[in-house]
Amino acid sequence: MIGVVTLVVGLIIGYMGQRSRFCTISGIRDFYLVRDTYRLKGLFGIIIGGVLGFSIFSLVGGDFPGFPLLPDGLNIEPLILIPLSVVGAFFMAFFSVMSEGCPFRQHVMAGEGRISGMMYIGGLVVGVIFFDVVIVPYLQLLTLLG
Amino acid sequence: MKLPRFEFKIVANLALITGLVMGGLAAVAQGYFNVQPPVGEGVCFVTHPSNLVNWIVNTVFGTEFTIHGIFIAVPVLTPIGAIIGSMIAAWRNKEFRLRRGPVRENLLAFILGFLIINFGLLWGSCPIRTAVLSSYGMLFAMLILLVIVVGVIAASEYIKWRVRRM
Repeated sequence: MIGVVTLVVGLIIGYMGQRSRFCTISGIRDFYLVRDTYRLKGLFGIIIGGVLGFSIFSLVGGDFPGFPLLPDGLNIEPLILIPLSVVGAFFMAFFSVMSEGCPFRQHVMAGEGRISGMMYIGGLVVGVIFFDVVIVPYLQLLTLLG
Repeated sequence: MKLPRFEFKIVANLALITGLVMGGLAAVAQGYFNVQPPVGEGVCFVTHPSNLVNWIVNTVFGTEFTIHGIFIAVPVLTPIGAIIGSMIAAWRNKEFRLRRGPVRENLLAFILGFLIINFGLLWGSCPIRTAVLSSYGMLFAMLILLVIVVGVIAASEYIKWRVRRM
């Protein structure tokens, strides 16, 4: 069932993403550089859609453990994860601007025949294996030390 | 005397609608189809491709790379769905054709994909899931969303600086 659900979700957002040119990173970039709000509204859309979805569906039997997580505050364990996450998010955003789009947009571009989008996904696949083989052991070590 | 014609035009912001649908689908996937734990895992283009690649590699080569519990038995297919969905949309609107770009050098695009997934996995989410987690009320995700904004601004300034130097 999970496979079918994720495939359907992917099909819907892939179709809509191609028609709308939706991109989170380009939304922020366009607003910062040329004050264009078209794609930025997409980012706000996720937040609004999420808040509405989680709130409404939790009232009608949806399973959302701990929602809303706000009272938990900044309860991150181990602490080493905080700087790692900040560095990761910063450079993910930085390099996403260089690649003209967020990871979702690259999937959409690959689907519409953009060769650089396909190459990006090739790099992503190799990157996942590199992360598993090289980075994860160091992360486990850092987590133990942290 | 000619009366002025009034035209009412509703210009739908498709990006906004796409965002709303993404947020809603993330909630539906988690709440009713049990795409969890972790929470807010309905849509993510960092962990889902990573889980899919790890699932394939584990199945073919017998490795034990990390996969989220819910995706161990059945692979997560969101990335495949997004590519096919985009392909269908492009095909239906006669926009599908093999072409270069937007990154000029294909090797650079490959390297950027490699770097972005590694940094993305350090945080553990793509910008879409970061926004979904923010809407779930996770304070740390809200802070990370700010970090993403700072990263985009830094890259935009870098591009402006490079253009000025040319």
